[in-house]
Amino acid sequence: MRLHEFEATDIFEASGIPVPRRGVAETVEGALHVAGEIGYPVMAKAQVLVGGRGLAGGIKSASNQEELEEIAEALLGSEIKGLPVRKILVTEKAEIFKELYVGITVDGYSGKPVIVTSTEGGVHIEESARGAPEKITSIQVDPSIGFYPYQARTLLRKLGLGQRLLIAWADVIGQLYQVFSRFEALIVEINPLVVLPNGGLLAVDAVLELDNSALSQVKHPLPNRMERIENPLERKGSEIGVTYVDLDGDIGLISSGAGLGMASMDIIAEKMKPANFLETGGGITEELLYKCMELIMMKVDLRGVFINIYGGINPIHEGAKGVARYIKEHGVKIPIVAKALGNHQEETWEILRSAGVHVVTEVATEKAVERLFKLVGGGT
Amino acid sequence: MDDSTRVIVQGITGRIGSIQTRWMLAYGTNVVGGVTPGKGESTVEGVLVFDSVEEAVKDTGANASVFFVPAAFVLDAFFETVDAGVKLIVVVPEHIPVHDVMKMRAYAIENGVFALGPTTPGILVPGKGKMGIMPGSLFSPGRVGIISRSGTLSYEFAGILSEGQVGQSTVVGMGADPVVLTNLADILRLFEEDQDTDAVIIVGEVGGEQEERAAEFIKEKMTKPVAAYIAGRHSPQGKRMGHAGAIVRGSAGTVAGKQEALRAAGAEVLESPIHVARWAKRYNLR
Repeated sequence: MRLHEFEATDIFEASGIPVPRRGVAETVEGALHVAGEIGYPVMAKAQVLVGGRGLAGGIKSASNQEELEEIAEALLGSEIKGLPVRKILVTEKAEIFKELYVGITVDGYSGKPVIVTSTEGGVHIEESARGAPEKITSIQVDPSIGFYPYQARTLLRKLGLGQRLLIAWADVIGQLYQVFSRFEALIVEINPLVVLPNGGLLAVDAVLELDNSALSQVKHPLPNRMERIENPLERKGSEIGVTYVDLDGDIGLISSGAGLGMASMDIIAEKMKPANFLETGGGITEELLYKCMELIMMKVDLRGVFINIYGGINPIHEGAKGVARYIKEHGVKIPIVAKALGNHQEETWEILRSAGVHVVTEVATEKAVERLFKLVGGGT
Repeated sequence: MDDSTRVIVQGITGRIGSIQTRWMLAYGTNVVGGVTPGKGESTVEGVLVFDSVEEAVKDTGANASVFFVPAAFVLDAFFETVDAGVKLIVVVPEHIPVHDVMKMRAYAIENGVFALGPTTPGILVPGKGKMGIMPGSLFSPGRVGIISRSGTLSYEFAGILSEGQVGQSTVVGMGADPVVLTNLADILRLFEEDQDTDAVIIVGEVGGEQEERAAEFIKEKMTKPVAAYIAGRHSPQGKRMGHAGAIVRGSAGTVAGKQEALRAAGAEVLESPIHVARWAKRYNLR
């Protein structure tokens, strides 16, 4: 789960990181009120959960009330990269002497936290990383020992900094690592970390992405994850405990396992268009597959459904009962092709066939998709 | 995993643990005991349950363990199992916090433990035994190795090969999480050294840099033929926040990038699972 900048900034502040004076607003009046307290000039920043907001016009500077009014009016209710702007964060405008970058993430391959720093902070950090790799330094942290401050100093010394900045920046890294560790984060990032004319540091942005599997271990009140999901079908998927991604095609998909689901989509997409991605993980029950059917059938223009499940950890014969019950209760007319192999496969086939499902018993997903292609009368 | 492998099942008294123990026994796996703290001295499917891994190892001579422990208890159970001297651990459960996995991985490496997962279907040697949840009916004995990031796709590939009378030597689920306990290239090395394996199939997916790193290994060390399939060409890319990931991983992660790296390393890239049958035929694999 991603946190908004205003939420992450509060958390960074509580951990001792210097952050700007600020307030969050949902209305133009609210924004003006915050600015009145802080004093102009201010920054107005759209609170949307996507990177590259600044370049997409989501971050603006206002030097007086009129300007802020105009900006707040334009931002609130608009869309940035397809996401609705419901809140804006109004902050003091920092005087920028220099922009730095610091981020901590999980390096998947080494399986270790990695701290990344650069003296070239700002919106073009990724280009800098490619064009001038010597300006980026990184260090891995041994997960069984944890982070110690000398590591931050070692890292920053490579950037050739003066003593005062080095110490102040190393402090921020230590505080940021605390957030990373206490929140079991996937990413924490400050970009830019601004060097003020007086030499002080100020974190003028805050990125914090949490691990959904660790949310219950975080000892800090967190926003409701479900409410964060903008798409209503994707939200419902999350609520019933499956991964659902809404797409714009007309072939519904239920699969057990993300890899199998992705492969199924790739194969469907050769000749048809998937309406969704849905993968159940290892939790199939009769009830779950009933709800999965309910979910994918919410798209009324479906032309066909493909069910691709394996009985390894999943009791697919139980799941089949849910599919059959849904079909009978709702009188589903569109063709449904199922490939269901593994433990209890014969029982599963029998249940599905009795509900009118076209069961394909060959292993290759291509064969089953080909069958569906014929049944729905070709592509669109 | 071989004839000397003596397996304990952790979380054996749970719903999934007990059902899967039945399937593992039916497949011929040498399951010598189970562990659930507080449930010692009961039996599940005729298998004696112990309160601790230490006792189980002492009494049964177990040297391998498969986990069906609830996610919240996996970290504790993992440390316990490593400390008890078990050298092969299969972590089946999904939804394990990534920070936990990082600690488990570091501890496993430090102690010379070979561990798979999390979110793995486990490991299966056709006709011999299995640790995990792979449905035995889809596999058949032979000389092709499979390493898969996805559980169910490993069944698909094994099933297609079996249909075409091509058997498998060992099938390994490496786990689908962003951090896994053993990386793809390290499993590939074991297949290169394995005398019972003639060729290897890599079943990868979009994201991360496992396949790119495996390609480096193939280029430098691999002598056996390798085929690779990467799922996720048509998967929508999620909206990204933050730059740290992109800076650390560079351009790694896309399906096209992975295919390119594997092809350049000399592996055969399969555009679709069904193509694996043709590949196996071309190399006359059994």
